[in-house]
Amino acid sequence: MIGLNETTAKHLACFCLLFLSLISLASAQPTLRVSAQDHDGYSRVIVTFPSALPFSLEKDGTLLLVRVSSSSSFRLKAEPVKSRFIKSFSWAKSNDLYIIIIEARHERFRPDSFEIEKKRQLVIDFYELAELPPGGTDKAETPQAPAEPEKKEEPPPAAGEAMPRVEESAAAARGIRTIVIDPGHGGLEVGARGKFGTLEKDITLAISLRLKTLIEKNLAFNVELTRDRDMDVSLENRAAIANNHRAELFISIHANSSYRRNANGSETFFLSLNATDEEARRLAYLENNSTDLDKPLAPENEDDIVMILWDLAQAAYLKQSQRLAEIIQDELNSLLNTRDRGIKQAPFKVLTGVACPAVLVESAFISNPEEERELVREDFQENVAQAIYRGLVRYIKLLS
Amino acid sequence: MKKKRRITPSHWTLLGLSLIVVMVLAAVLFKGAGGEKIKSDVAPPPAESPPEPVLPRTTKTVNLFFLSEDDSLLHPEPREILAGPSIGEEARQVVQELIRGSSKGYVSPFPAETKLRQLFITKDGVAYVDLSREIMEKQPSGSSAELATVYSIVNTLAYNFKPIKKVFILVEGSEKETLGGHLNLSEPFVPLFSLNAR
Repeated sequence: MIGLNETTAKHLACFCLLFLSLISLASAQPTLRVSAQDHDGYSRVIVTFPSALPFSLEKDGTLLLVRVSSSSSFRLKAEPVKSRFIKSFSWAKSNDLYIIIIEARHERFRPDSFEIEKKRQLVIDFYELAELPPGGTDKAETPQAPAEPEKKEEPPPAAGEAMPRVEESAAAARGIRTIVIDPGHGGLEVGARGKFGTLEKDITLAISLRLKTLIEKNLAFNVELTRDRDMDVSLENRAAIANNHRAELFISIHANSSYRRNANGSETFFLSLNATDEEARRLAYLENNSTDLDKPLAPENEDDIVMILWDLAQAAYLKQSQRLAEIIQDELNSLLNTRDRGIKQAPFKVLTGVACPAVLVESAFISNPEEERELVREDFQENVAQAIYRGLVRYIKLLS
Repeated sequence: MKKKRRITPSHWTLLGLSLIVVMVLAAVLFKGAGGEKIKSDVAPPPAESPPEPVLPRTTKTVNLFFLSEDDSLLHPEPREILAGPSIGEEARQVVQELIRGSSKGYVSPFPAETKLRQLFITKDGVAYVDLSREIMEKQPSGSSAELATVYSIVNTLAYNFKPIKKVFILVEGSEKETLGGHLNLSEPFVPLFSLNAR
């Protein structure tokens, strides 16, 4: 009897050790989890902290920000968002501060939060509020006394009806999808000049107008040009035009020039960042976690990150921009008789602030007399537009 | 009497320690005197260059990166410059030699009239290169041209001087958005060694 007890005790001890080591393994990678779930009349977001951490809540328009202070680092993991009211999760980090950004479909909601200390959970219930009469300021509408947390069955009066209406209008709003085309240079800023007097600004506008026609004729996309005639537009404004139209794609069209007489061919650029180590770490962090959020960054989530890092807006889209550049370059190679200069990365001013996949196409060299002669030909311009158009079609198909 | 004259081991340690202290102090002082004064103002007056001490100086070989008609890469060309007395002084010569152009038939990605106005290096490893207006006014205004101009300077400086991590290009003493509508000059550049020929 005693011997048997001893072996069971040994087994138990072993088991306990194994169990403990498993636990310690699991806790070696502290993780903060965020999930959303719809309930009757409200949507519930649960934030599970890796340890007891101080936090604060702040409502900002459609966003609810959860600021978490932590000196030790942890992973952030979001469950896929399947909610009719919660649109997305994203986050930013600076030093010891983590900000979890919960985006709602619209700004008329009342967050109602409570903590479950045992589980180290913060529970935030989102109650939709009835639509305000036009002119009313809804920003100051938050401070209602938080209802008793456990009360699950008490939807605000109009919520049931407001929901489908909101979804419809959001869908309709999303139905208008925009591509922004940026004809390089313009006005006093003529760009490169050819030996026969061709100006880059005229070529880029001609190609852009052709591309616009092609897209509008064949695709369910709205096209906005950063300029539709010969005029000056600052580089920052070009990016702003794209962001203000909530562009899904941004194509900047140029003709190249070099100090080398023989330089020739076509190439497609996407942005490279002159990142310091500190910036690179922040970006890597953003990039790593955006894959945790939603495998390919869904178009409706694309403006989350921009709110935090407007100046680095393009940083969140580098992978998509690279893919777009590859596809467009591939089409340029098959449609134009120019040398394939491949895709390249460089810190282009016009691309840095664009909050969607963005590329810059260098159609051919205006500094090369042979290619200058090509660039002024209508059929060549049409081929460049056609190649970019085909690239766009392939890229859009890839996403859907 | 005997006891007083004896030097105990603790005396030796004391002596050793003070020797080390003296050496460290000397090293710090020497470095402080020899090292370049760091300026962080963006646009220092151009006439402010201090008189150079007349010393016998040795030469040193650096590599300048130029374009070639054969491909769009940057190719190294060895060049002799005067060594020292500081990295700033050597870097100044290197940029001046770059602007002077190739002696081996490579293509210089600078308008011939361009002048180096000023060059200084901050302690965090950013070299500020202040060029005259011709770098903007007389350039071909194309992505390839700008890439060549910028990375000829950036790669050359970073390749030859380990302490230089980034290069900020100024024109006529102030920050510009771009040289001709392409590359972002409002941030310092990190070198892109993939543009260098192997």
